[in-house]
Amino acid sequence: MGVTVDVGYKSLNKFTEILCGDRVEILKTKDSDILILADGMGSGVKANILSTLTSKILGTMFLNGATLEECVDTIVETLPVCQVRQVAYSTFSILQVFNNGDAYLVEFDNPGCIFIRDGKLVEIPKNIREIDNKKINEFRFKVKRGDALILMSDGTIHAGVGQLLNFGWLWEDIAAYALKQYAVTVSAIRLATSICHACDELYMFRPGDDTTVACMRIIDSKPVNLMTGPASNKEDDEAMVAAFTADPAAKTIVCGGTSATIVSRVLKKRMDVSLDYVDPDIPPIAYMDGIDLVTEGVLTLNRVVQLLRRYNKKEAVAEDFFLELDKPNGASMVAKMIIEDCTEIHLFVGKAINSAYQNPSLPFDLGIRQNLVDQLKKALEEMGKPVTVTYY
Amino acid sequence: MKITICIGSACHLKGSREIIKEMQDLVAKNGLGDKVDLNGAFCSGNCVNGVCVTVDGELFSVQPENTKAFFEKEVMGRL
Repeated sequence: MGVTVDVGYKSLNKFTEILCGDRVEILKTKDSDILILADGMGSGVKANILSTLTSKILGTMFLNGATLEECVDTIVETLPVCQVRQVAYSTFSILQVFNNGDAYLVEFDNPGCIFIRDGKLVEIPKNIREIDNKKINEFRFKVKRGDALILMSDGTIHAGVGQLLNFGWLWEDIAAYALKQYAVTVSAIRLATSICHACDELYMFRPGDDTTVACMRIIDSKPVNLMTGPASNKEDDEAMVAAFTADPAAKTIVCGGTSATIVSRVLKKRMDVSLDYVDPDIPPIAYMDGIDLVTEGVLTLNRVVQLLRRYNKKEAVAEDFFLELDKPNGASMVAKMIIEDCTEIHLFVGKAINSAYQNPSLPFDLGIRQNLVDQLKKALEEMGKPVTVTYY
Repeated sequence: MKITICIGSACHLKGSREIIKEMQDLVAKNGLGDKVDLNGAFCSGNCVNGVCVTVDGELFSVQPENTKAFFEKEVMGRL
């Protein structure tokens, strides 16, 4: 069984700081996925350097098969010593999940990983090993589909300390909240963001410490096929639609009125075009049996690319971003499916030129599909989603 | 009577939304809800002029500013 993971994280900077002292690394090896969270001592530049060094060293060494001892040794030898405190220090958590379901969790001084399975919390057993005087907890286990694992920096458990809460947000209470959010969210990023947002509220939107939540969910692979543009050769229409609808497991999206008309003709399925302008700038969507989502083309895709770019700028992703994603306009619906319900994407792109769009009196250059597809591909790659493009 | 209004990219930019809104208002105002069936449509390949509107299959080009006149002539006039 191949294990697929969905990974996402969200950080809050300590109030007034420009840099975050927490650092998350997400890596993919040939046979595993690695999530690392490091929290450098202090805040601002110093903490940022400590956590960046730590997470990068761990990532690079793990990637090359080094042992945990070697990694910790290297970190101890490398980290600059703080002049004030005379120590070099950064906490870290490492979670590695192999394609065969084996998992390896290493934790050093971060709040414990929250492990959710079958709607319940799973306790992570104590198994402490001392390396260079550091007490490090190791846990080897098997993941199964539906599991969620949440790594955090201590900004979470300090949320609200001395203000709204006497002792901060207790781990048990965060875990209970995570469990509740787990049930109502589908993606790792949304789960991470919701916990982070709760911390932000407890801090009354002035975080007293860098706060990071990184989440990994074990999921089925979710391929998405997206078709846009008519084939440059009319005779290829059928082949294009056949390839686009070939995988019964893949979700299907058609972006483009003419493309949708072609799909409707080839599949002999009726199409109903809605008149519902939920967003004045995005034309209404349409409905077709057998296709998950049908939208207009370039104007919608243009907005989709904007949304994905916003998503890729991590600091811009907060609760309001998801409110935008939940809107029922075509672009939000496409972006939501790509961000939250997709592990790999295949673009079927027709290169036909719509002569009616070569019209200089239009206020928007509609002849830019090619350009949009390139931008879309780039944004998807930046998100870490494997992309295949086939031109017709 | 079946009316379709194109909401494809080009027609959208030429004002589909305003036309739909006005037609919906006119249908409601004249109490024609059970006689006139308003639908969306994708590109009918005649994007060069105004917004493509069909009335029982016959194609027209409509601009937002002449929607009312169009409605009175081609829709009310046929009922």
